[in-house]
Amino acid sequence: MNSKLCQALGGLALAACCVFTVAADPSWKTVDQLTAEERALFDPSTSKPRDSKYAYLPAEPYPFKAPFTAEEMGFRSAEFVHISRWPYSLVDVFGVITSSGYINQGVSVGYVTQSAAPGLDGYMRGLNVGDVHSRWMLFSTFPPEAEAEQQLWILYRTDQKFSTKMDFFIYSPQLRRVRRQPQPRRDQRFPDNAQTFDDVIGRDPWEMDWTLLGTDVIHETVRFPNTRQHITLNEPPKGYVEYATSAIKPMGEQYPFYTADGGVDCWVLKAEVKSDWLPGYNEKTLIFWVDKHNFYPLRTEKYDHKGELIMVEVRNTKLQNPARGEFGYAALMTTYWDLPHDIISYSMHDAHNPHSWTAEQTEMIFTPEFMRREWLYEPNKSQALIREPDQYFMRPLLYRDKFPAVRKIVIAPELEARIQAQEAAGHLIFETGTATAKQ
Amino acid sequence: MTSCTRGWRTAALATSITMSVTPMAVHADAMDNAFSKFDRALATFDPIGTYVREPLERALPNLSLKGSFRQWTDILLDEHGQVGFQNQDYRFLQLQNLFEVKGAYHLAPGLDVNAVAHALYDGVYDWQSSSGLSADRLDRTAELYNNSDRILREFYVSYRTPAFDIAIGKQQIAWGKMDGQFIDIVNAMDRRESVQLESEDYEIRRLPTWMLNTTFHFGRNSLQVLYIFDFKQDQNPLPGSPWASPLIPPPSLNTDIVLPARRPQNGNFGDHEFGMRFDRSTGALTYGFIYAYMWDKNPVDRILGTQQSNGSTQLILEPRHERLHHFGLTGDYATTLPQLPMVGALPAVFRVEALWTKGVRFVDFAAQAAARAGAITDGTVTHDTLRAAVAGEFGLPANTTLIFQASYYQTINWKNTLGGGFGGGILDEWTLVPLVYVSRPFAFTRDRLSAQFTAFPVLSGPDRHWQGLKTKLRVKYKFSQFVTGQLVYNGYDTGSSQDLYGQYDKWDNIGWELKYEF
Repeated sequence: MNSKLCQALGGLALAACCVFTVAADPSWKTVDQLTAEERALFDPSTSKPRDSKYAYLPAEPYPFKAPFTAEEMGFRSAEFVHISRWPYSLVDVFGVITSSGYINQGVSVGYVTQSAAPGLDGYMRGLNVGDVHSRWMLFSTFPPEAEAEQQLWILYRTDQKFSTKMDFFIYSPQLRRVRRQPQPRRDQRFPDNAQTFDDVIGRDPWEMDWTLLGTDVIHETVRFPNTRQHITLNEPPKGYVEYATSAIKPMGEQYPFYTADGGVDCWVLKAEVKSDWLPGYNEKTLIFWVDKHNFYPLRTEKYDHKGELIMVEVRNTKLQNPARGEFGYAALMTTYWDLPHDIISYSMHDAHNPHSWTAEQTEMIFTPEFMRREWLYEPNKSQALIREPDQYFMRPLLYRDKFPAVRKIVIAPELEARIQAQEAAGHLIFETGTATAKQ
Repeated sequence: MTSCTRGWRTAALATSITMSVTPMAVHADAMDNAFSKFDRALATFDPIGTYVREPLERALPNLSLKGSFRQWTDILLDEHGQVGFQNQDYRFLQLQNLFEVKGAYHLAPGLDVNAVAHALYDGVYDWQSSSGLSADRLDRTAELYNNSDRILREFYVSYRTPAFDIAIGKQQIAWGKMDGQFIDIVNAMDRRESVQLESEDYEIRRLPTWMLNTTFHFGRNSLQVLYIFDFKQDQNPLPGSPWASPLIPPPSLNTDIVLPARRPQNGNFGDHEFGMRFDRSTGALTYGFIYAYMWDKNPVDRILGTQQSNGSTQLILEPRHERLHHFGLTGDYATTLPQLPMVGALPAVFRVEALWTKGVRFVDFAAQAAARAGAITDGTVTHDTLRAAVAGEFGLPANTTLIFQASYYQTINWKNTLGGGFGGGILDEWTLVPLVYVSRPFAFTRDRLSAQFTAFPVLSGPDRHWQGLKTKLRVKYKFSQFVTGQLVYNGYDTGSSQDLYGQYDKWDNIGWELKYEF
């Protein structure tokens, strides 16, 4: 790839984009520009009464009532973590691709159980600090070399005093042995991946200071390339269903609040990590685009201590647990883009099947001893793996023009060229040669 | 020298460097591009997964299909002609191609039907000109799996509940995983590779048998009970096969009369085998105990009588499998050793496996000599044997793994007229193998390239002291999630020609393995 040519193209595209931004009505608004209807839903106060037991929680019973403070919106968005807050089983299809196009994928069948009532409220108030709130058993079924490898995550209700997030066990079928592992660093990327531990387990909303930046309309989150026209999803009890990728919407089919042109109205929230809660944490600021009706976080951006954008996470969601109403949305597919290293990871939660576990099942499945049995208790499967590198998910949109006062986006020229090449082609364009070693 | 001349020379030098470097750079770029494209294409190369497994699993959602294709080639560094009783007029030790398909059909919650099929072809008998290799004429399966027993490798129905698992059918059970098979006694083994068979290949070399396998789970404990109604014996390197021991004379040179082996009868309840294993986990420590009432997988020659032929006494021998009582234990303890110099905190696992076998029958060559002189004896004696191993596995910095395993074998009340027998010292009263294994991936290849080194020195006493050293160096590359390749060197050094590794002193070989999994 001729990088100068790409830079030139990139400059032209950027210029065109700026012209368009100036000429068109922007989709985003700052707090000052909120409509009367939006103002009625937003409470700008920053000091509301606190919970008598946990001072870091608002006193108002969850899920709060409108108008919402920025903090309350943040708490509502924390309802929707990567692994949903209810008992269920799923197939997690995940992968990562390098800038040269080398693709690594995996499939794990996952079982999730909760110790408290489903939802954030069960986590916040249904347990004592230090209690186990959830157990995840993950059974690897792909790639072949990882078959029957297992992980058991035992997660705790935490706060500033009790900060151990989890007990972690892995099982190796080659060694036929369960090993207890140390908890990963919360802000550290997994090896060769854009995801951090906190991206998986979610951050407690009381670890951050929340501000409303404004509103925006999002039309696209996870981006399929033009080389992937269809995807097969496993939808219990229907089984495999094929979808045109163009038909997959950010909030799913059943979401009733799409704008006339198919967009999703969002609040845009800024969260500053509290340094006394998370000293030395790699991420200083997070910005969330949460849908206005359910507070579902469709897009998350992470900024480092220089204030520069380091990661973009976008999700397509779906009402996977209708019994929970507006709280029943779960991540269907998520793309994570680490900008400094240009690593693009994805995680797709296929075969999502909410169901409770009997006491006997809970005592059996969610223990280290069960791992030795190498028993894939519910043999769920997926056909959502990506077959070719150029069918991989595209980098998320950058929205360079939006909220420029708080969003500092610094893109290296090589990455800029790759982005522009991707936009021109409609799918990822890979570097060749020695760039493989870059990451 | 004028400045003009210097300038001309500088320009000429610059031009020549540019002229020579530019094509090289372009060439290197083109090579990089080609490699990158190849790498990218290989990353998703999974034709069977894409065009067979996926469509089948979509049509039959309860079906799970997996498999692999492996190609191994081992080449002797030199051809040595006659070595002991072996005519080593060949270079290829194996040209094996193994296709494996594993299928599982989920009938109902907890209820599955499982099958594993193998197709193997070894080209060493066809693809080189050799008069020393003839084992395929004795047993066709040395070259090609051509019978249902080898092709339908495993086939069993499993039913699992919270309290117990049951599996009935043809299957393999791995008790213990340490190199040397200390408590891995349930299934017989295809030992065609003799001393080059190692633990990583046990899974494909075990000989599955028909059995009932139940495990009861209660708390942190489990109790496994086996009832085996299909006896299989070990398959050792056949005469005329690449790994046939140069110490063993071919049957044509045997002056005694050897009758067909007397095997346990599958239809006779009294000949069936039993085993049980209890396991318990308590945090970082897991331990277990086993007992098994089984047959020796290798027959022992018993003297039925003698006869005179051309003035000499011939023994009439009947190889028989003998009943054995096995008592074993296993345990492992995982811990992290506190801050140590150079390596910091050191994750470590310590393992032990041990097996005491009661009443192992040995050929007694002194008794055989007495029989030839007219004494009444069956030519065998029984001794107890012990084999045990203690291992430490350490997770060093840079993802380097170090394993030290001390393996010990002893025949109780040994005497130097004994032949070989299950579990005892190897050609001696006791044998010690202090195995060392080091493995390291290379970060600059994103851990796709790794190297492993293993050394197997063999010490024994009181007779032989040193029986040779086996070394193995392997370089492995992960082409993709589906395809891996490795280059392997195996060396057999020192020891006498009568010793365990010394006899294979002229079997140093290099080889490769390509593996595609889908």
